[in-house]
Amino acid sequence: MRVEIREAIETPDPPQKGPGMTDLGAAFSITRWEGGRSAVYSADGNAPGGRPFLDGIEIQMARPLREQAIDLELGKADLVELGPNELRRAAGGRRIWRSAAVRLLALVFGPQVGDARLREALALSVDRAAIHSVLLQRQGEIAGGLLPQWISGDAFLFSTAADAARARGLVGPLRAPMRALTLSFEDPAWRAVADRIAVNARDAGLMVAAAPANPAADVRLVEVRIASAEPWQALAGLAASFGLAEPPQSGSPEALFAAERRLLADFHVIPLLHLPYVYGVGPRVRGGPGITPLGEWRFETLWLEGARP
Amino acid sequence: MMPPVNGFCAALAAILFLLPGFSSAAEDLPAAGELARRTAAFLGARAAAKIRYSNVSSLADAELTSVRREFEASFPEAGEGALAEIHLTLSENQSQYLLIEEVHKGEESRVWIAGWKRPEAAAASGFGLTMEKILVWEQQEPILDLALWENSMLVLAPSRLTLYERQGDAWHARQSVPLAPPRPWPRDMRGRLRRTGDRVQAFLPGMECHGTAGGKLSVECQASGGPWVLESGSRAILLADFAPERNYFDGRVVLQDGSRRTAAPFYAAAAGEDAGGTFWLLSQLDGQTGIFNANLEPVGTVSTWGSDMVGINAPCAGGSQVLATGRGDGNEPDAIQAFSIVNRTANPLAAPLAFGGPVTALWPATASTALAVASDPASGKYAAYLVTLACGH
Repeated sequence: MRVEIREAIETPDPPQKGPGMTDLGAAFSITRWEGGRSAVYSADGNAPGGRPFLDGIEIQMARPLREQAIDLELGKADLVELGPNELRRAAGGRRIWRSAAVRLLALVFGPQVGDARLREALALSVDRAAIHSVLLQRQGEIAGGLLPQWISGDAFLFSTAADAARARGLVGPLRAPMRALTLSFEDPAWRAVADRIAVNARDAGLMVAAAPANPAADVRLVEVRIASAEPWQALAGLAASFGLAEPPQSGSPEALFAAERRLLADFHVIPLLHLPYVYGVGPRVRGGPGITPLGEWRFETLWLEGARP
Repeated sequence: MMPPVNGFCAALAAILFLLPGFSSAAEDLPAAGELARRTAAFLGARAAAKIRYSNVSSLADAELTSVRREFEASFPEAGEGALAEIHLTLSENQSQYLLIEEVHKGEESRVWIAGWKRPEAAAASGFGLTMEKILVWEQQEPILDLALWENSMLVLAPSRLTLYERQGDAWHARQSVPLAPPRPWPRDMRGRLRRTGDRVQAFLPGMECHGTAGGKLSVECQASGGPWVLESGSRAILLADFAPERNYFDGRVVLQDGSRRTAAPFYAAAAGEDAGGTFWLLSQLDGQTGIFNANLEPVGTVSTWGSDMVGINAPCAGGSQVLATGRGDGNEPDAIQAFSIVNRTANPLAAPLAFGGPVTALWPATASTALAVASDPASGKYAAYLVTLACGH
């Protein structure tokens, strides 16, 4: 089965944690690894639960979303990632696999932005609803909290409303140079979102310059995967990803809400959206869905048309 | 599997009786009183507050009514001149139902959350979706359909339509309207209830009832050959003619755009979306479930399902799902399983949800839940359940 992803994993060995390829380890063995380019996995005859139906999986990395969609249409790939634009253009009858909303898109401030008014103003300036409906074609959910509603049950308590007037009030007393921020996005897929945030920020009296892959940026637009459906584990995982203090690991729903609110209190992290993983599936692929609600790959029960053992 | 009826059968004549034994998720609603006491401690027991209630969970709105009753027993609403605003929301996550209270008094605000365990999932699938069932009502006479809202419940049985009112933890029959069929009911009797606000419609073989069920049940029934309204999920609707002497629809349908079509006779219909396109599923008399495009042109079949199914839009699963019964013979224990339809293929989303006896009715309850009725061969009773599809193990 031929799989394409847009991420280029440059490590010398296959990743041992994270989504995607790591999930293949239970039933497949890596037989070729070219960091940043491709990987080949072969069925493990001794896999728990039996040998996978698929003989092997070829993964092409660093494939832009648009090219992935074309490869799927041309039959050059069996499974590709779909962005909002590609999803809109997807041919009728195309099979699509979606996870639950487990990708958190958030703004994360660097330690150099010490003025909480500035951070709060940017949080208030972002028009999440416009980003969600226009740029993301209503994929996923608008996020005010770190955890999505399906995991915490209380996500609606976190405000997502934009308030440019209040943001202007916060940064009004600051001198112009202090109202300038650099915004970095590592994934080119998020350029349009970063640009939109910069436009929103301007309306709130901030001057935000968006540019790709700037490690010294004041604020970064990042995507973090939620790896557990258990609320406390999910929150702890997110806190670790953002470099926030580790929350306690148990307690009541009220304690969970309080812990999440504490993590967000100083606006070092601004949640924007919870998004699903979305894959386009080629006509040869049978079985599935091959991804779980958490976005994990479960390819061991898939097979290709005409190739079922 | 529902066998087609080949002729008239005797009317159900016996007057059966309702049995106690009701249980629902409301039995597990422990939290509202505790939150009310915390509210009173924060605002003062006699403080005036305006209270709003919302339900973003998969629980029926009737549970919200229970919350309101319990909360206001300890902290009554006083809308006029209210100094505080209270918003109570019934919510849920993977393992718990939550009752969330937001209190705003001037510049001060509080959030309190009480949680209680969700019913044990019936079964977990390898993909993290689970199906759950909650017992709503049980009685000796067959349950054709059931509608549940706020403090009220309507039960459609072959002999009567009964309005129940909830008092405390029990349902009490408030009013009952006998059904006088223009001709004997067919074997394997079917019926469908629709409620829109206070208005109710009951579709029965060769008969249709219209009326209201607000404070009082007022229904008039008449012989009718008109179509039944079949809903699926949050958006799809189909008008279908029911064969009055059989237990299936005769295949004549009216689509949402008003166009008429004739398909093969079918037992049940469900709609869904695949890559933005609407499709219909019709469970046919030959045991096949036909997949049809939006114009009702056949595009595929599913051969592993039973005769009953509904379409739902489970919030956490995304898109549309179909809940279908198994291929039992109508006498043995049945199961309901959730599927997605992709590229004209049915993909199971969760492990089957088992019932102790055959499933005798399966209808949409809300856009995201189904109402399933199963008979218990041992006791002879019929039990109605709300069936939901949830994410997570």
